[in-house]
Amino acid sequence: MPPSGSPPPLELVLTVASPQELSGTDLSPYDAVCLGNTYCRRVEGNFAEELGLLPAAVAALHAAGKKAYVTSPAAPRGRDIPQVERLIDAAAASGADALEVHNMGVLRVLREKRIPLPAHMGAYANVYTHLAAQVMREYGAVRVRPNAEVSLDEMAVIARDAGVEVEVLAHGKIPLGITEKCFLLEGTEGADPMCPSACREEHWLTAGGPSAGAKPSGAGAWVLKNVGKGVVSGKDMCVIEHLPRLLSAGFRIFRVEGLYETSAYRSEIGAVYRESFFLASSGGRYAVRPKWAKTLKEHSRNGFCNGYYFGKSGQSYVGTVLQGDNSRV
Amino acid sequence: MAELLASGGTVEMARVVLDTGADAVYVGAKGWSRRRAQYEMSDDEVIASARYARSRGKILRVAFNTLPASGEIPLLLAKAAKFVREGVRDFILTDVGAMRALKDRFPETVIHASIGCTIVNAEDARFYKEAGATQVVTECRMDREEMRKIREEVGVGVEVLVHATTCYTYLGRCTMSSYTRQEWRFDDEGKNHFLGSPNRGGLCYRVCMTEWDQIGEDGSVEAGRVVLPNLAYFLVDDIPDLIDLGVTTIKIQGREYSVPLVGRMVRFYRDLIDSYLRDRSSFRMEPWKERMAEIVSARDSERRDKTAALISESGLPA
Repeated sequence: MPPSGSPPPLELVLTVASPQELSGTDLSPYDAVCLGNTYCRRVEGNFAEELGLLPAAVAALHAAGKKAYVTSPAAPRGRDIPQVERLIDAAAASGADALEVHNMGVLRVLREKRIPLPAHMGAYANVYTHLAAQVMREYGAVRVRPNAEVSLDEMAVIARDAGVEVEVLAHGKIPLGITEKCFLLEGTEGADPMCPSACREEHWLTAGGPSAGAKPSGAGAWVLKNVGKGVVSGKDMCVIEHLPRLLSAGFRIFRVEGLYETSAYRSEIGAVYRESFFLASSGGRYAVRPKWAKTLKEHSRNGFCNGYYFGKSGQSYVGTVLQGDNSRV
Repeated sequence: MAELLASGGTVEMARVVLDTGADAVYVGAKGWSRRRAQYEMSDDEVIASARYARSRGKILRVAFNTLPASGEIPLLLAKAAKFVREGVRDFILTDVGAMRALKDRFPETVIHASIGCTIVNAEDARFYKEAGATQVVTECRMDREEMRKIREEVGVGVEVLVHATTCYTYLGRCTMSSYTRQEWRFDDEGKNHFLGSPNRGGLCYRVCMTEWDQIGEDGSVEAGRVVLPNLAYFLVDDIPDLIDLGVTTIKIQGREYSVPLVGRMVRFYRDLIDSYLRDRSSFRMEPWKERMAEIVSARDSERRDKTAALISESGLPA
């Protein structure tokens, strides 16, 4: 946490996989954009794969006064490492401000290149302790996003003792797992005609409750979202009720997960958080405004969660304002 | 020659696997490994089992392979110090910070990077080597060429799981279980057991194995009663190749299985490995496959019951 003086500025980061996802998204609420999809190399227009897209995208973000980060594959096999090397070179050449890293091998490859491209450890980097973050810092990490399971109190220790910035997931689907094989395909990725279009549509996994076998919402339903080569939460992580606490704890970097969401989701969720940050930082009385809650609910098909941050089940929700029909709170 | 490593979920299991042919046994310090406390050992049990292993000229390896909280690192080091004083030298870890801290404090220890490290490429192995590991557990689907690179070019030992599960997700990078249900429960030493989180030392509720409906954007059912792939496997055909490749350790997972079943697994692999090493040129795999089929059947029966119980415990429909 900052030792003294005025706190560093807030940074609201959005994840965007491709030009298609960028299209129609109002980036004005955001301070930074992380380009690319870490789950699957074959996602159409994936900035982390179609490297020719990077220079223009980075330049456009810089021109708009925003930081540009580029993500990397979460679980690259040995055969993928040459592409990772090209990705690192392209990100550096395009002037990206950091490479998001989930895999320790990628971190090491980046370190070996000895180029001025800092690493941001991503959600799948399994950062749980300040000591692990310190090791990663030696390899060039300047920022870590602790694993979803890490509580806010644990994050505060990492922020205090690791010598790196800590990024907090503020809103969006929680990354829960990455897979080797795409769940949405019957054949192989190269041969199945459904690839890469299958993951452009929404696919939910539901179990239990009256909604099993029907629309994935309502009391009793357990819901996950399947994105093909990964699983994310069915509910949306949401910290809007807790922003004053997060800011007073010293957290300044917040992420909105924009992958596999609509442009309206990315635009309107960002706007809500920008407003809420402004209010929470003003020092006045903070309360979740009804219009914020309305917008968040409109974009949340299965309710909200934030339990991991408070040492509970990830899918539980701690708070009062947005409980609503969140039956498992 | 490849070491045969087997699970020691209890003192009895540790003795049985060592007596049945394992060269080494791994055990979990209570609250510190990727299984619930029921399949872990108290400090006294670890120490007694380590003495037994040494008396047989074999190795006991202590798993500290959780991803702990920062505040728990001193507990880990204190427990490790206790074991080191009693002659334990071998440890399995996941958290790279804990790995470095243990190696710095006790340079004589031998550290293996756990399956929880999700080592999928040779560069991963280099990273953990630099953190102090002398051996890495390779991700379950890693190909032979990558194993060879790790063995020969990176220069660390390669450990291969011959009885384990290929989870739906990459093992070590999955939080589906704790998303569904997690409870913080502290023991007398102050260690949080993180029930519901296998990465943090609790347990996995195997929620992937419940029956899910896959629903499309419009609410229609795209597929009913979907079970996410999570297969328990035995490698049998691969054993000669793995030995020829020079893998360092052949590991049998199974702390949660019954002692007689784990004993049968160990006996099987001991005999198979020895048979192949005795006469590689005339070795035939067919008889071993027949013998394995009986073990598979017994394993599947035990696993089915345990999976149903875990899913039920998670609150999901079993």
